[in-house]
Amino acid sequence: MEAVNERELVERCRSGDERAFQELVDRYKDLVYALIARTVQDRSRAEDLSQEVFLRVHRGLPYFRGEARLSTWIYRIVANVCVQEFGKPATVSFDAEKPTHQQAAPDRQFGDLELRDRLEKAIARLPPHYRLLVAAHYLEGMRYEDLADALQQPLGTIKTQLYRAKQQLRRMLETEFK
Amino acid sequence: MFCDEALDAIEAVAAGDVTPDGRIAEHLRSCPNCAAALEGARALERALRERDMAPAPPQFTSRTLARLRRAKYRSDQFLDVGFNVAVIALVVALFTGIWMLVNRSGLNAVSNDVVDLFGSGLVAFVRRVAPSLPLYAGAAALLASALGIWWWAERDAAL
Repeated sequence: MEAVNERELVERCRSGDERAFQELVDRYKDLVYALIARTVQDRSRAEDLSQEVFLRVHRGLPYFRGEARLSTWIYRIVANVCVQEFGKPATVSFDAEKPTHQQAAPDRQFGDLELRDRLEKAIARLPPHYRLLVAAHYLEGMRYEDLADALQQPLGTIKTQLYRAKQQLRRMLETEFK
Repeated sequence: MFCDEALDAIEAVAAGDVTPDGRIAEHLRSCPNCAAALEGARALERALRERDMAPAPPQFTSRTLARLRRAKYRSDQFLDVGFNVAVIALVVALFTGIWMLVNRSGLNAVSNDVVDLFGSGLVAFVRRVAPSLPLYAGAAALLASALGIWWWAERDAAL
């Protein structure tokens, strides 16, 4: 989204325009939901947490200074919500065993599907912080710089943590999930 | 060069963040284990990039806005209760202050006479009103019901 449009949208939301906030939710819902659904296995919990993110966005908009991109600021809120969620004890869910990816296209090779399935299982075993980083980095628009900005950590730290996360994933795929 | 050194760089190489320099490139060519690890890291990189992006469920926006309205309504109610409590506290403080002032300034004796006067007036008023009391009680109950229904309807509309 262009910076001018973004500022305009934020200003409209601040002035209490509900349609503007609806537009904001529509623009970012897929990003927020995908990010959380990749981190939290339970779909209904993911929706609940995504809604919580937008509630916090609404509460925080008056304090948003526009120094960072709106998507970066929203990502920071997602990270905070996820960190709080990971602090809670795990809840039992009937959705927990469902794969987190959508139904794959029928023409995809079985090997590809099988790798994806193993990958999802391996990702679920990663520490929450790594899971969030991997989820965010491979979403459209989430560069190392955005992640570093959102998490307020040095760029080098973010890269190192991502490499370690992928190293753990690779090892799990080579051993436990082979 | 040892394998550990090459393996440490493999994720960065697979992600395209680092171009392997001479020593690492040479090791990756000559060591089958490290070459296999690099191949695995590249496959993982591709799989991660191709992960499906789950779209938000249908009705997500409307459900979020409904939740927002509920939260706003609760927050308004909390503010209302806070305001009412503050007003009650203020009134109590005001009356306590007046009572203390009356006690300290010697106006107590005068106020006792006033209370007696109003007291006898109140008794006479109650005696006169007593026969119509059920009517007043019924009217008050009707009014309370109407207010209750209005509050209930407004609460549902706000949700």
